Amino acid sequence: MLDISLAPKALFYIAGFPVSNTFFWMVILSILLMIVFIWVARSMKSVPGPLQNILETLIEGSFNFANSITGSEKKTRKMFPFIFTLFIFIVVSNLVVYFPGQSALTIENAGGTIPLFRAIMSDYSLIFVMTISGVIVTQIIAISVHGPFGYIGKFINIKEFKNFIKLLFKGKFKPSLLAQGFLDLFLGIMDLVGEVSKIISLSFRLFGNIFAGEVIALVVLNLFPFILPLPFKFLGLLTAVVQAFVFSVLTLIYMTLASEMEGDEIAEKVTI
Amino acid sequence: MKLFNALGLNLYILIAQLVNFAILVFVLYKFAYNPILDFLKDRREKIEKGVLNAKKADEKMEEVKIKEEEILKEAKKKGREIAELAKQEGEKKRKKIIENTKEEIGQIINQEKEKMRAEKGETLKQAKKEIAELVTLSLEKVLDIKMDSEEDKKIIQKTIKSLK
Repeated sequence: MLDISLAPKALFYIAGFPVSNTFFWMVILSILLMIVFIWVARSMKSVPGPLQNILETLIEGSFNFANSITGSEKKTRKMFPFIFTLFIFIVVSNLVVYFPGQSALTIENAGGTIPLFRAIMSDYSLIFVMTISGVIVTQIIAISVHGPFGYIGKFINIKEFKNFIKLLFKGKFKPSLLAQGFLDLFLGIMDLVGEVSKIISLSFRLFGNIFAGEVIALVVLNLFPFILPLPFKFLGLLTAVVQAFVFSVLTLIYMTLASEMEGDEIAEKVTI
Repeated sequence: MKLFNALGLNLYILIAQLVNFAILVFVLYKFAYNPILDFLKDRREKIEKGVLNAKKADEKMEEVKIKEEEILKEAKKKGREIAELAKQEGEKKRKKIIENTKEEIGQIINQEKEKMRAEKGETLKQAKKEIAELVTLSLEKVLDIKMDSEEDKKIIQKTIKSLK
């Protein structure tokens, strides 16, 4: 009876492009966000009104918080737009779900009966795009900070092998260096795996939470529609904010980590 | 592939989502975050400046107050000193003037006395001389003789002396 699908369903098609319910609402929400933010930014007053006050507090608070993570205002200024957009967009699209009566609205089309609304963050393609863009930006930051060779060297670490061979030519045999070399190589590969797993852990954490919330809400609503869904709804409310926070802050932390030099790199720069 | 399909991952949709999200980030960055953050920074600086200025003004006020009090105190002290000095000076001058005047008066009195004495002497001398002549003349008339001798003159003189 319950129609639960991982993928969002298409509401209608524009020139063969399936416009799913989540995609549709994502576009609308984006436009709304833009309108509200630009409107507030255009009509900034020294003595703020209620809406400006809320946004000011939100932006300034987030900026200061991000600053405390990155530790430099220059970095924060560069990373903040992406991170804060992630946060505000995820939070708003998670909270929009709490407008009552949404799941009652459905649309009839070739695919059958399709709910008009669906939590935007339960669309994996959107989360995947957000995650992958964050990870790609992180890699770009890492390359620009460590240089292309430094970046590759982090994953394929053969420094100790080189030392070992150098010493071997000089007639010294040091097996400890060889062991260190293998360890570094292994750790480098683990780092590579770590980078890839970032994408999976980050995106499925958010997707899983929101999608699970959707499903649970639906199931509980079908089991017993009075009172019983309330605790789950409250839990979902908590999840909505916490997951947005976790997602954006983790992305920020990844970027910050990539933008920081390690001890030996700093030493190298100084000696050069 | 099956997993991708189940999750609804489709290249077109992904590209569309990416474009949408990029537009959202760009527009918010350009037209919302930057102006708002700049505005907030400006305002924070303005407020900081205002607070600082107010503090500075307060400090200056305090300083001016203290200085004012000091100046007033100094002025009072100086005024008192000047008044005291003037009093002393005045007293001294007064005493001096009185002394001078006394002295002068004394001198004048002495001078006058001297003058009077001299005049008196002169007058007496003149009178004596005239009297003597008068007496001689009258005696001449009375006796009708000329008394020229030394003896006579002596007598006359004696008489005059006794007349005195």
